[in-house]
Amino acid sequence: MRVGDLLDRRRQGWQELDKLCERFASPAKRRNVTASEAARFAALYRAACTDLAMSEEFKLPPATVDYLHRLVGRAHSQLYRSGSFPVDRWWHYLMVIAPRAIFNDPCVKVAFIVFFGLFALSALMAWAEGTFPGFAESVMGKEQMETMEESFSKGLSGNFDHFIVASAGYIQHNTSIGLSCFALGPLLLPSLVTLAYNGIMLGASFGYMARPEVDAGDTFLEFVTAHGVFELTAIALSAAAGLRLGVGLWMTGDTNRLDSFLQSAKKALPIMMVAVVLFFLAALIEGFVSPSSLPYAIKAFIAIASASLLMFYFVILGYPSDSTSGTLEEQT
Amino acid sequence: MNARAAIDLTAKVNTPENIQFEYRIAGPFRRAPAFMLDLVIRASSITAVFILLFCTGIIQVLALPFSVAVVALFISYFLLDWFYGLFFETYWNGKTPGKWLTKIQVISADGRPISAYQATIRNFLRSADLAPFLSLQFLDPTFAPMYIIPTGLVAFLCMAFTTRFQRLGDLAAGTMVIVDERSWVPPSVKLEDPRVEALATYIPANFRMSRTMGRAIALYVARRSRMAVGRRAELSAILAKPLMQQFGFREDTSTDLLLCALYYREFVLKEIVAPGEEGSRPPASRPASYGTPLRQEVTHAPPIVASIASPSPKGVSE
Repeated sequence: MRVGDLLDRRRQGWQELDKLCERFASPAKRRNVTASEAARFAALYRAACTDLAMSEEFKLPPATVDYLHRLVGRAHSQLYRSGSFPVDRWWHYLMVIAPRAIFNDPCVKVAFIVFFGLFALSALMAWAEGTFPGFAESVMGKEQMETMEESFSKGLSGNFDHFIVASAGYIQHNTSIGLSCFALGPLLLPSLVTLAYNGIMLGASFGYMARPEVDAGDTFLEFVTAHGVFELTAIALSAAAGLRLGVGLWMTGDTNRLDSFLQSAKKALPIMMVAVVLFFLAALIEGFVSPSSLPYAIKAFIAIASASLLMFYFVILGYPSDSTSGTLEEQT
Repeated sequence: MNARAAIDLTAKVNTPENIQFEYRIAGPFRRAPAFMLDLVIRASSITAVFILLFCTGIIQVLALPFSVAVVALFISYFLLDWFYGLFFETYWNGKTPGKWLTKIQVISADGRPISAYQATIRNFLRSADLAPFLSLQFLDPTFAPMYIIPTGLVAFLCMAFTTRFQRLGDLAAGTMVIVDERSWVPPSVKLEDPRVEALATYIPANFRMSRTMGRAIALYVARRSRMAVGRRAELSAILAKPLMQQFGFREDTSTDLLLCALYYREFVLKEIVAPGEEGSRPPASRPASYGTPLRQEVTHAPPIVASIASPSPKGVSE
């Protein structure tokens, strides 16, 4: 047989495969594909594979070889389609593997110590005006303090519309802090600086508002109680995920830089996932509960419940046991 | 990764069928428009939700509290921001709408489809790829110092230093972005000039073409239809003149036709035979109506006049 005849004969099969690829690619058309067509697709794909494999032997024209590469690539990505989302495995990952990974990660410890340590220190210094005069003012700036006091000058009851807008602003602000800590993580130092800076700023505003002589303070504390636990933890966690990436990128250990980075990305994933979930929960609370005029007891209860939930998740679920290792990839 | 693959921007994939084929890798200038399109789609979806909630009066109709609308808006934003890419890349076979429009697709670096796990990693790391962020004060000094304008420098640098144009998220997830091949008509070369067939019969039967020459001739023939006649003559002469010497053809034989004839002989006429059976076919009969290019038979007319379409050479044994 001649090359030209061979091409003419094969071309029909290729074009049929091409048509089938098109049908498989579209979700609407894929539903109408019959079993025999699917089988035909597989047969045509194998034939095209054979043609490609034999193209050197047959000395097919280069343009046809190019065409075959594309056709086979196209059919390959239809034959081996991306899978579905295995919910049960993700649940296992989120409830068993992730808390253990977070509990064991030194980056999480560093981020928590930096963030909450500076937060507490700064809050204390801003609160104790007698011992550290002018600390809060010099950290936050007079202007910002006044804006903040102004926005909490009204009580929570009856001013829902005012506070829901404020909520939206704070959600956006705090999520973007977390995100930039994470995003700067591969560079390590900028992420730590951002985290420390925001820890100090948030701490100073908490400490200042907690002073007995600040009138808006009660409203402020009532506002932040319910969602604060989740939100601050989420910021620290997202910074920890970023730091984990950075550590993998710069401290490679025994592996090469790429492999080390890949491994650290796998370790950072559970931390970031939990941070995102916490941001989401915090935002829900901040949207529904915090600006409302619900009694303070309920808000305090939510704060206690969320803190216990986090304790349960990180410590009880996260406490190392025999089967701590494992990634989602091994699971799936 | 060898140097050739880096130059050719292709990624070789070994399939379970044990063959090797190539994917074309999509570079930053294919991917940036896809990203922009996705951004526009996300922004317009969130705007649509906003209009639906706050401008159509649906809150009043359903008697919903204002906060429900705000929270609904927030949740849509959150879901779009974090799960848009994850959802589409998992369920649409590695394509977001933006990627679908710009005809690119994410797959695993080993050629397999992307898994939900990989889609999660590469989408969660997107914010790291967009770093460093510029402050809003960059636009106007009166704006608040919020660092929210992404520059994407990390992604660009990362793509510049990897052979498969992988951004940080791609590296971490072990994925790459390839050009999604759509229907593409195989370039069938039409050699309508009947003199080509005639000329092909004069090429010595023992002439063997090297692989690179075959490639060069195939490229030439595929592109000659877009060239002016003078350009064809100029380009084809480079390869054809030495061959004419070798074959003993007359100097005024058309070099363009000679390359076409070589193509015809190599890629259309050539027998596919198992090694060891070569030469089993009798030589094709020679359509004589166009004259001969050989120097010894100068008395014949040169192969220029084409008046009668000749039937294709017979004598094919299968």
